[in-house]
Amino acid sequence: MANKKVTVSKTTRRLVIQENIAAYAFMLPFLVFFVGFVLYPMLMCVYTSFFDATMGNREDIFVGFGNYRELFQDPVFWKALWNTMIIVLVSVPVTCIFSLWVASAISKMHVAATSAFRCIFYLPVVTGSVAVTMVWKWMFNNYYGIFNYIGTSTGLMEKNINWLGDPKYALGCIILILLTTSVGQPIVLYVSALDNVDKSLVEAAEVDGATPVQAFWKIKWPQMMPTTLYILVITTINSFQCFALIQLLTSGGPNNSTMTIMYYIYHNAFKLYRYGYGNAMGVVLAIIIAILSAAQFKLGQEK
Amino acid sequence: MKKLIAMLLALVMVLGLCACSVETAPAATEAPKADAPAVDAPAADAPAAEAPAADAPVEISLWTFPVGKWGDEATVNELLAQFNAAYPNITVKVEYLAYGGDGDAKIDSAIEGGNAPDLVFEGPERLVTGWGARGVMVDLSDLWTDEVKADMIPAVEAACHDNAGAYYEFPVCMTAHCMAINKTVFEEAGAMQYIDEENHTWTTEGFINAVNAVYAHTGSTVGAVFCNGTGGDQGNRALISNLYSGSFTTADHSKWTTDSEEIAKALQLLVDLEGIEYDASINGGAEADLFAQGVLKMATCWNLSNYNQRAEVIGDSFEVLPMNFPTDDGKVELCGGIWGFGVFNNGDEAKIEAAKTFIKFMTEDNAINAVKASGFSSPRISATDVYADAENAELIKTYESFLINLGDYYNVMTGWTEARTLWAETLQAIATGTDAAQAAADFTASANALLG
Repeated sequence: MANKKVTVSKTTRRLVIQENIAAYAFMLPFLVFFVGFVLYPMLMCVYTSFFDATMGNREDIFVGFGNYRELFQDPVFWKALWNTMIIVLVSVPVTCIFSLWVASAISKMHVAATSAFRCIFYLPVVTGSVAVTMVWKWMFNNYYGIFNYIGTSTGLMEKNINWLGDPKYALGCIILILLTTSVGQPIVLYVSALDNVDKSLVEAAEVDGATPVQAFWKIKWPQMMPTTLYILVITTINSFQCFALIQLLTSGGPNNSTMTIMYYIYHNAFKLYRYGYGNAMGVVLAIIIAILSAAQFKLGQEK
Repeated sequence: MKKLIAMLLALVMVLGLCACSVETAPAATEAPKADAPAVDAPAADAPAAEAPAADAPVEISLWTFPVGKWGDEATVNELLAQFNAAYPNITVKVEYLAYGGDGDAKIDSAIEGGNAPDLVFEGPERLVTGWGARGVMVDLSDLWTDEVKADMIPAVEAACHDNAGAYYEFPVCMTAHCMAINKTVFEEAGAMQYIDEENHTWTTEGFINAVNAVYAHTGSTVGAVFCNGTGGDQGNRALISNLYSGSFTTADHSKWTTDSEEIAKALQLLVDLEGIEYDASINGGAEADLFAQGVLKMATCWNLSNYNQRAEVIGDSFEVLPMNFPTDDGKVELCGGIWGFGVFNNGDEAKIEAAKTFIKFMTEDNAINAVKASGFSSPRISATDVYADAENAELIKTYESFLINLGDYYNVMTGWTEARTLWAETLQAIATGTDAAQAAADFTASANALLG
């Protein structure tokens, strides 16, 4: 009997080991890519941030926390951080609320209509960001843009507004474009989450006298929390990493009014060849995103 | 059975990865051979490394920015066919780059990755003060013989070497960037009276009167001080320096001098003129497009190539009159564009020699076709008839007449890339209400700090 137990145990262990090997073997290709293209660059980013690194034959100079010290004394960095925070603070809640509202409205419609609206809202996501941005650039054009045309021809505006060339409006324009490209995925996710809500619970609540609003907040909303949390995290990250819009529309101007941390990293690393300084900024940005994401997860779990 | 299949699949994936790495291995081992040919290079590589045979097959890479039709594949293929007819052993692989960040990013990544092209086609601000100053270019002094120097426009030669005398560019073509006005609208507005049409000149006072007249006539923006980025900033720099005879740098390029009264006065004048708008939403290319569409009535970043690229858009809608920049003393100084070849030091003598052979062919044997491809002019004093047989020879002659007004090529200042960015930010600051004199003083201090 004892011998049999030992044999079974050995067989089980062998099977477990074999399964583990097989699992790791399957994971190996992805691990190689993960280490090569994610982990190693991340470590190199942290490492390089301690150097005055630039292009060419010159050896990198170790500066310790010099890049970080310079960073916190750099007014453009603070301006970029401020702009980035504005983008995040405006676009994340607006994206979530708008997506939830649209999803709630279209999920009650006929299946065909729901699908049609999902497609319409998802179109800017699948369309190339360069194409979308160029269309917006045309619409915001100072001289012949459609917004100026409508504004001046209807008498709403006295003269043309330089939407992308005036610091008063430029960041708002960027946020508006960002919203149009950000809401597609959350809407699709929310529609799907609403479909997955347990209908029997909603019906039971309604039978017990719950109003539609109460049914939504007390029954549907808690069941959609994981989706909401995911949307909050990805929208926050996307907002922090807003780059293509800035690059194509304003290059951070006018007068740094649309400068974001992502664009400032690019500007330092690839225009001024200050790789160390750019990496230091990247590290700071990663820390900020990590803290915010952790806070969002924490809040989501508490709910 | 399932486990067996799973293991086999995993094995295939791992082997696949190994196969990938094996395939890249030769490339990784080839580079050191080229780097250290004299010591222990395999026999097969030795002849090429020691003394490249004239007819030994060599493959070089050329990355070209879109300088006229040097960015057009069909045109470049034609030039390559002409080259290969003379040098069938040298294969040139071409990659086409774009201005506005993408091209620079590609080259920078390639340099950092140790895969820089052998040849690159661009101007001194990148070849000399950019990559040359960073020690990644080959000194082309041996191509700059006394004969070549004697035949080269002096300002061009000065721009192609660094302060230590190392030549990092061999020029193919050049231009003097000028202005252009919508003559049709200027005539309608009665503004042509302020312009010397025959000599393509105007005074600062004439410029002010003309802008006011056109603005009064059209009620819309006449011209823009574009400052979205650095693209085309030679236009706004030339306008600002010429208006009151200011200068951007000292003659020896040791200092920025933009904190002068002349520069501040010019910047303020452009703020005060109702018909001129500091526009942070467009760059030089967009300005030229708006001019070609008839939206703006003058362009400050103009040349023959710009005209050719937009001739179809302009069509018969209006007449373009190329102009010198307005001055208060009659002495125009235009900003130049000088484009040519630079060679990256990839450590392979055979490739460097092949690259130099290509440069010699394109600047001597096939010089006329190489210049024509750019749409610009030759930097050689002796090359006076490049476009003699062209359909629009008269027009070309007009644009070439601006070359005599070519001013100092200060693009070779240390920290040029950073300074250009600062300049765009300076104009943006003025656009958003900063005092012009203060902005110019701030720029000067920051730009001079870059000189070290």
